[in-house]
Amino acid sequence: MNTNLCFCYSDSKFTQQELPACKPILTPQWVISAFMLVSFVFIPIGVASLLASRDVVEIIYQYETECIPAPMRGDKLKFIQSTENKTCNRKLIVPKLMKQPIYVYYQLDNFFQNHRRYVKSRSDVQLQDPKNENDTSSCDPEDLSNGSPIVPCGLIAWSLFNDTYSFSRNNQNLTVNKRGISWKSDRDSKFGDNVFPKNFQNGTIKGGASLDTTIPLSEQEDLIVWMRTAALPTFRKLYGKIEVDLQANEVIDVTLQNNYNTYSFDGKKKLVLSTTSWLGGKNNFLGIAYLTVGGLCFFLAMAFAVIYLVKPRRLGDPSYLSWNKNPAGH
Amino acid sequence: MQFLSTIPPSGFSLRIVSAIPKMSGWDRVRSSRSRLGGLSRNSHASEPQPSSRTVRLGRVQPQAPGYRTIYCNDREANLPVRFKGNSIATTKYSIFTFLPKGLFEQFRRVANLYFLMISILSTTPISPVHPITNVAPLSLVLFVSLVKEAFEDWKRLQNDKAINSTLIGVLQDQKWEHIPWRKLQVGDIVRVKQDGFFPADLLFLASTNPDGICYIETANLDGETNLKIRKALERTWDFLTPDKASKFKGEMQCEQPNNSLYTFTGNLIVENQTLPLSPNQILLRGCSLRNTEYIVGAVIFTGHETKVMMNAMNVPSKRSTLERKLDKLILTLFGALFLMCLIGAVGSGVFISRKYYYLGLGESVENQFNPSNRFLVATLTMFTLITLYSTIIPISLYVSIETVKFIQSTQFINKDLHMYHIETNTLALARTSNLNEELGQVEYIFSDKTGTLTRNLMDFFKCSIGGEVYGTGNTETQKGAAQRNGIIVEEVWKSATAVHEKGFNFDDARLMRGAWRNERNPDTCKEFFRCLAICHTVLPEGDESPEKITYQAASPDEAALVTAAKNFGFLFYRRTPTMIKVRESHVEKMGKTQDVSYEILNVLEFNSTRKRQSVVCRYPDGRLVLYCKGADSVIYERLADGNNEIKKSTREHLEQFGSAGLRTLCLAYRDLSCNLYESWNEKFIQAKSSLRDREKKLDEVADLIENDLILIGSTAIEDKLQDGVPSCIETLARAGIKIWVLTGDKMETAINIAYACKLINNDMKQFIISSETEAIREVENQGGQVEIARFIKETVEQELKKCLKEAQRYLCAVSRPKLALIIDGKCLTYALEPSLRGNLLNLSLNCSSVVCCRVSPLQKAQVTSLVKKGAQKITLSIGDGANDVSMIQAAHVGIGISGLEGMQAVMASDFAIAQFRFLTDLLLVHGRWSYLRICKVVMYFFYKNLTFTLTQFWFTFQTGFSGQRFYDDWNQSLYNVIFTALPVIIVGLFDKDVSASLSKKYPELYKEGIRNSFFKWRVVGVWAFFSLYQSLVFYHFVTTSSSNGHNFSGKMFGLWDVSTMAFTCVVVTVNLRLLMACNSITRWHHISVAGSILAWFVFIFIYSGIMTPYDRQENVFFVIYVLMSTFYFYLTLLLVPIVALLGDFIYHGLQRWFFPYDYQIIQEIHRHDPDDNSREELLEIGNQLTPEEQRSYAISQLPRETSKHTGFAFDSPGYESFFASQQGVYAPQKPWDVARRASMRSQRTPKKI
Repeated sequence: MNTNLCFCYSDSKFTQQELPACKPILTPQWVISAFMLVSFVFIPIGVASLLASRDVVEIIYQYETECIPAPMRGDKLKFIQSTENKTCNRKLIVPKLMKQPIYVYYQLDNFFQNHRRYVKSRSDVQLQDPKNENDTSSCDPEDLSNGSPIVPCGLIAWSLFNDTYSFSRNNQNLTVNKRGISWKSDRDSKFGDNVFPKNFQNGTIKGGASLDTTIPLSEQEDLIVWMRTAALPTFRKLYGKIEVDLQANEVIDVTLQNNYNTYSFDGKKKLVLSTTSWLGGKNNFLGIAYLTVGGLCFFLAMAFAVIYLVKPRRLGDPSYLSWNKNPAGH
Repeated sequence: MQFLSTIPPSGFSLRIVSAIPKMSGWDRVRSSRSRLGGLSRNSHASEPQPSSRTVRLGRVQPQAPGYRTIYCNDREANLPVRFKGNSIATTKYSIFTFLPKGLFEQFRRVANLYFLMISILSTTPISPVHPITNVAPLSLVLFVSLVKEAFEDWKRLQNDKAINSTLIGVLQDQKWEHIPWRKLQVGDIVRVKQDGFFPADLLFLASTNPDGICYIETANLDGETNLKIRKALERTWDFLTPDKASKFKGEMQCEQPNNSLYTFTGNLIVENQTLPLSPNQILLRGCSLRNTEYIVGAVIFTGHETKVMMNAMNVPSKRSTLERKLDKLILTLFGALFLMCLIGAVGSGVFISRKYYYLGLGESVENQFNPSNRFLVATLTMFTLITLYSTIIPISLYVSIETVKFIQSTQFINKDLHMYHIETNTLALARTSNLNEELGQVEYIFSDKTGTLTRNLMDFFKCSIGGEVYGTGNTETQKGAAQRNGIIVEEVWKSATAVHEKGFNFDDARLMRGAWRNERNPDTCKEFFRCLAICHTVLPEGDESPEKITYQAASPDEAALVTAAKNFGFLFYRRTPTMIKVRESHVEKMGKTQDVSYEILNVLEFNSTRKRQSVVCRYPDGRLVLYCKGADSVIYERLADGNNEIKKSTREHLEQFGSAGLRTLCLAYRDLSCNLYESWNEKFIQAKSSLRDREKKLDEVADLIENDLILIGSTAIEDKLQDGVPSCIETLARAGIKIWVLTGDKMETAINIAYACKLINNDMKQFIISSETEAIREVENQGGQVEIARFIKETVEQELKKCLKEAQRYLCAVSRPKLALIIDGKCLTYALEPSLRGNLLNLSLNCSSVVCCRVSPLQKAQVTSLVKKGAQKITLSIGDGANDVSMIQAAHVGIGISGLEGMQAVMASDFAIAQFRFLTDLLLVHGRWSYLRICKVVMYFFYKNLTFTLTQFWFTFQTGFSGQRFYDDWNQSLYNVIFTALPVIIVGLFDKDVSASLSKKYPELYKEGIRNSFFKWRVVGVWAFFSLYQSLVFYHFVTTSSSNGHNFSGKMFGLWDVSTMAFTCVVVTVNLRLLMACNSITRWHHISVAGSILAWFVFIFIYSGIMTPYDRQENVFFVIYVLMSTFYFYLTLLLVPIVALLGDFIYHGLQRWFFPYDYQIIQEIHRHDPDDNSREELLEIGNQLTPEEQRSYAISQLPRETSKHTGFAFDSPGYESFFASQQGVYAPQKPWDVARRASMRSQRTPKKI
């Protein structure tokens, strides 16, 4: 025989498929320990999150009906479209000590800021640079006013929220700080500091708030907040900050200007005062989810342990092989 | 100048061209051709003829249509016909056609076409996504595919270029000029040197060898490495030197280019003589010249018209069953897509309303949002959503699967040491990468016997001379039978005379060393030996001594017979074209040696219709003898009357040999008178020169002389099993694979082999349906064809019904014995008829092994398709010879044995392995792994795209069904091609449930593939369920928890913050989910999974960190930094993937514990085993040739009257091309001519010394 054989192959672990590998087997021990591990990690996180959430004091006041004078409540839409005085005074009682900063939010309901037609109805380049003010192609139908471009154009800006809130305590005004309510990246990069509103809300129908044409867009923080469109049809947006502590049981007088039309589509409006924790606002979801999953895993670990005790199977029991179960081998 | 005469039949074309003395022969030929141009209907019919040449000379001779005429050594004359050039192009594309053609090829795939349509749709305003979302993945997929195509084509181009520019010597101006191959033209005279390749199909004119012969190697054509002989016509021997060759002028008329490698008909008309041409004068492109200094030839066919190129046709590629099921899955996805879009569309129609004044739905609003026409809104939204949800169809799936399969076949299968055959230095070869996973689901194996199960190494083992049996050895079959009967077989002491060499394993002192002289009839012995030494087409090689001489033969049987003659003292040592020289010992008296020359007058060759071979030879003393060897059936019907004693005992012996698993041949001779021979020879020569039906006529003429034979005796040759066949078959049987043996052999041989291979054992109930029963025989002897057919059909029908009934009874029985069916070819012909097919299928599917014997290649294919189509099972055919080609092509998976018998089976196959036993590795290891891996890859693709798309779907409900996208365009487009692409390929390559050795140790694991356990709708359902679950978790957990401020600053997230969060969770989870699905995790898994997740983060860091002038809405600007500044991000990133994976984890935990798959149990049993990388075992050959007990049981089970079988199994595979026989051409290649001409070599050798 030819002894000088040509071994024309590469004798590697790759081609011979013998790369070192770990072969995890999901044995009951593993399953139970994994569950236990998850529960041990999750339960503390859940507790911490819940505690954080519990520390947050939140006052929610739904006003879209209450702020309409009782006789007008039959046709809310007519009221909101009228020129009547829409001021509405209400008192809120602070349930617990609220440390500053206290964030003021408005929350809208059934408002589809994420509708495709709405989301794309803006011109980012126009917002950044006055040179691009004619770039309004994506803004239809709020692109032009009498032939000249609207800045900021588009439906989003046009429908800017225009309810206003002012707060007083013991007839003493509580300043609402409206600076720093938007993300810095938005302010700095998306809205130019030399872009000023033009032709805004000039149309026959006003969608919402007007803008001060002397203030550059980068300082119009209400607009900036509004234009970071929300993901869901129910959303909160930051209105301002109250930078004093509010004591428990204090009465806060709120003066609302109920201007914004949510009545045509049955949207709710809420005023929210909230403190924050390290986790942010009051949100039990994460804490509950962590606790639930942690608890569930603990329960599952126990359940699996019991099941394994009740119905044990020896690891690698050949009698479980299909051909051993059915000797005919079909 | 008109010579009118009757027109001879075109088949017999001895063409007379009358001469005009003044004209040279060449001119005459040319002018007559130009006249013929108008008559013949071939390519040059419409060519304008120069008027100067339209001189009418000679007789008008119509040519059969489809003949081409070539003027040798006259380019000008050939010009009008415009033969194709000699350059070849095997490339699929050129620079200009590459893009259009390549893209067209790509868009023939439905998935690509779909994405093209989606891409076009996404450029319209209707689309919610930027076109990039769909264009990017599509372009990437197309790019990868096109690069692959271009690379392959580039390699072909380089190859073509190299070939086309090879230099060849062409006769120009009485000199050999070297020109590249591509410039060669039809009719050119070329010179090919030793070891050179023929540049085109050539007419062989002259050779430096005496006698005008040359040797060629045809390995490129048919893989046969033995040298073939070609002989030039004597008339042209002289045209060897440039000056002589330039005088050669001739006209050649030959067939049009065709793809039949072994046939050629044509005439050479040279100086008024018409010389018939045969394949013997044709040198085909692709062959190379050997042992000859140089040859001169004329070009006949060039370039793409050469026979080898005409043969290079694309075999339609097979698609795997799994891929076809995948199409159904894709269709289901389309269904799901449609449903989702429908729901969304209806929703949008209902939602849209002017009350949402902030959407600006004025009177002039575009159609899609026009509340006045809700139906239109819904319809357009449908399209919007189709583009949005297009990710549900995994576009990169096909590319990924192809990549995985390509690496699997080229790196794993082709390089596996387990399938390395050290003796032939052959590795396995995957010729297609389409069918890897099909190997994991094979349920039926159809195997050829000879060369596949057996070695095709023939040993002369026994013989019967003049009614006496010689040879004391016992076959393994007999040993087994004896042991079963309780007889202890004593190992017979080998006598001193015992010789065992290749082809000879015989021991009987009565015959060896001249001892035959003392036998009862030494004359018969002498005839026997002479017949062995003379009647064959073997070539001697090497030194002319008994020890050193070797024989080259087309079939190993022949070599064994000549070797036997040598050992009996009749050394065939030299062959000249007309002589056979035999060194005969002990003929005159003991110990005396003499050289005798026998003149070979005619050779009547073997073919499968004749089943015999004869030689007419003249003794030195003038005695004329015809020696004949062949199948007992044909020999017996040609025997002279009388001598009944010998006939009877020889027949008994034949039966004995046959049942012992030996291959038999009958030998006979006939003394011829001179007159008889002369008159016959005339007819023979006539037949030989006929152009049409030459082979058939030759057969008819041969029949005239092959009768009145006198029986000498018979030979018996042992056919050895391949290494490891029985244990391999046993393993495969345990794996739930049913093995059918389809063989041309006789029933007993087949049964014997089946026993030896452990296919059949005594515990099995055997059903035998044979045509060799007394009843059938009787009818055959009396009735006409119709009667016989009717009778056999009825019998077969009855048998089938009976067996079926019995089989059903057995299947209901408690013990349930395994069943085996043995059926022969003749019965099969009828059983395969549509009316009986159902019964046959029913019966055979209930049997665990089936043996079909005496079947033709066509029947092999029919049986294969019967099971493939009728039973919808996955079939595999394995064979080594040309006769297995049809079967190999018919089956789902065709496997060729890259062994000794030529390459045709390999050429037709999908995989080639060196040994049958490598099937274990190929199926149980590679096939099973590929199946598991591909299933996993497909399922994972399905899952990841469904999950991703469903999150979009849930979002649609909260956007007023407007079709707003959830994810950024680039995120969505890179999801498939970057963030989740690599790990799944790694799994497709490296996932291993159990190691290779365990796969073979527990072949039953393979059944999971046969049952298709991993690609069932149930499995799809489980994945789909978890997709649904996970997508709900992703969407709702992320959105619900995002509804508040998220750090001390109290600022709120926008849409793009939430979507980026969700996307991050999806990417992380989907990648981790893959790790959970892995059975083994290598470092590549870690690298790819971690790399993919990291790639996402790197991407989003860069992508969201920059502002571009390019028009993208600055949606995602800075989102990741905003997100990462909150605890929320980290808490969600921990929570969501774990919750999402929890479901799968519980499912797997429960499934593994209560309903474990087999492989999981095996994993557990061997969980403590170290990795078995026992390399030293690799090259060891397990020799499992232990004699299996009781395997001749089947023989005893045969109905006695049917046992008329005699083991005739002589076949000469090299002679016949399956293709040729399909075209009705018999024995196209001439082994005799090969042998005769090769004898020149042995003449030359002494001269040189």
